[in-house]
Amino acid sequence: MTLAQIADGQLAPRLGIKLDNISKRYGDHVVLDDVSLHVEPGTVTALIGPSGAGKSTFLRCINLLERPDSGTIQVAQHTIQPGKDVNSRDLAALRRTVGMVFQSFNLFPHMSALKNISFPQQKVLGRSKEEADERSMQLLERVGLKDKAHQHPSRCSGGQQQRIAIARALALNPGIMLFDEPTSALDPEVGLEVLAVMRELAADGMTMIVVTHEMQFARDVSDTLVVMADCRIIEQGDPRAIMSDPQETRTRRFLRAVLER
Amino acid sequence: MDALSAVLQGLPMTITLTLSAFAIGIVGAIPVAVGLSSPKLPIRLASRLFVDFVRGVPIIVWLFLLKFGIQIGTFKFNPVGAAIVGLGVVSVAYLAEIYRGGLQAVPRGQGEAADALGLTRGTAFYSIMVPQAFRIVSPSIATYLTGLLKDSSIASTIIVTEMVFQSQAFARQHPTVEGILPYILVGVIYIALSLPVAYISRRLDSRMRKAVYA
Amino acid sequence: MTWLAEWAAYLPQMMSGLGVSLLIAGVSIVAGYPLGLLLSLMVSTKNLAIRTLGLAVVEIGRGAPALVILYLFYYGLPKFGIAFESITAACLALIWNAAAYSSEIMRAGIQSVPRGQLEASSALGLAQHHTFFRVVLPQGMRSAIPGLMGVAIQMFQGTSLAYAIAVPELMKSAYNIGSQDFNYLQIFTLAGLCYAVISMPATWITVFFEKRMARHT
Repeated sequence: MTLAQIADGQLAPRLGIKLDNISKRYGDHVVLDDVSLHVEPGTVTALIGPSGAGKSTFLRCINLLERPDSGTIQVAQHTIQPGKDVNSRDLAALRRTVGMVFQSFNLFPHMSALKNISFPQQKVLGRSKEEADERSMQLLERVGLKDKAHQHPSRCSGGQQQRIAIARALALNPGIMLFDEPTSALDPEVGLEVLAVMRELAADGMTMIVVTHEMQFARDVSDTLVVMADCRIIEQGDPRAIMSDPQETRTRRFLRAVLER
Repeated sequence: MDALSAVLQGLPMTITLTLSAFAIGIVGAIPVAVGLSSPKLPIRLASRLFVDFVRGVPIIVWLFLLKFGIQIGTFKFNPVGAAIVGLGVVSVAYLAEIYRGGLQAVPRGQGEAADALGLTRGTAFYSIMVPQAFRIVSPSIATYLTGLLKDSSIASTIIVTEMVFQSQAFARQHPTVEGILPYILVGVIYIALSLPVAYISRRLDSRMRKAVYA
Repeated sequence: MTWLAEWAAYLPQMMSGLGVSLLIAGVSIVAGYPLGLLLSLMVSTKNLAIRTLGLAVVEIGRGAPALVILYLFYYGLPKFGIAFESITAACLALIWNAAAYSSEIMRAGIQSVPRGQLEASSALGLAQHHTFFRVVLPQGMRSAIPGLMGVAIQMFQGTSLAYAIAVPELMKSAYNIGSQDFNYLQIFTLAGLCYAVISMPATWITVFFEKRMARHT
């Protein structure tokens, strides 16, 4: 079985997402300036760009961890306009549909790896403990951490913690996965185990949006490369095409800086 | 030793006062701490004023106010009642502040992860924030308990027969050099009583830190 | 309304009590903090005898209730022929208290100075006393400020215990007025307000300093 199948017990629904005219400012400081992005079901979108470009903020706007000032989010049959009041049912539906993996893992330190994955299933999906634990164990086995099930996160390496965090998000059977610099807090070598899990997930056909500094991953795995700078999307398209022949000078400058060091 | 047995006569009362007030504080501080962390400004402000006011008035004033100032119909506080309620209210304020600090010390990412997973506010608070906050603050709570133990001595001023009251009584009856003994003994007993709590707190401190944020 | 009128009538007498309270608090801080610094140095020294002595003074000052120390000075020592006036006994007890608490705070402050500062001083060839008094101490004291302000507030509140040895401070004034008219509720409420009016803003200032320093380091 694939990772995505284990998450659902069957094939996970492949959802797309449409983000239109997302803007966000803190006081006078603009962080997102009218950003639009359409993601097709089953594709991988890599978000790259210099720090401070607004990549992470944009990603966090997708599941409303940050509340945009205006714009529209369309996912599955839901349309959300975050500038206006969002009712709690829509918010709950959005968060259930969209899984997220953080740079700093954010595992719950007072729960075992197993409990970290099972607890949200019980609370959010109403699964029984047995049912939840069974899925959690399947997922843990699949990310290669079955033996860590009863350990607390503090006893796991960073790479292991991040794989547990991915399993935790997948357990809720999301149609889309967001990754916010999932390997930035890890040693390069350890990051590879996490990237391997992500590659597998992409191969299974999961819809993924990934903020990353891993250029090779972006080139090899993503279907669409999105370059952000100065609070906007400045270029998007086929990753190989952009990397070999960027159209924008800003993109060229950024790529030269990261690829030619 | 006469002095020692005189002082020890007050020990059960000292412990009763301390633990009763502590129990009131541990439970009563929960809603106040929630108020201190409330996103609603009026609630936050009211809780803040309550906490700062209670802490801004010395314990002895609270005890005298309750013991001598309160009379509702025929009801008046007896000394022990006034001491327990007074020390209890003060504990509520101090522990609420400790709880609030603990809640604030839980890393932001924890709340975000709970949100991203779609957990409800209530679940996030009681299952994710509170358990972690408790681990963070348990050493401070233990430290507060040793402070409360010492503060219970103030009850002697409203004639509660705890250890310091008994020491005083003995010293009055012994105008000789022996009369200094109960003060030294009672000091030693307080320090001795604090030691196990301090020890446990230090152990908790290192263990919790390891368990949570190693 | 009647409360306000009565409070206005009592206030002058209360103010003289408050003056005594502030005096005792002031003395305990002015004398207690330098002693606290001395104690913190004693506790940090390598000499076992000095360290043990320092530790004993600190641990008794923090571990025994202030009331017990107060009684020890006022009722205990006279039995050896060493007698103090009540206000002197109150000052001595609170000085001990202030010294013990502040020494721990200053020690923590000094320890929080990064090792790199010592290494840099050594590398520059600064003498040991220069390193300590000009480099380490100023930085350590700076981070100890909020804690020391907290101790000052604690000392001010602690002066209320001097009531127990009949020092004519704020609490004692309140009690005297109360036992004339038996209007304890009004008078102790007023006393509480007098303490709170000083303690609360002092606490807010302390928190302000704490936050500012947290931001700057």
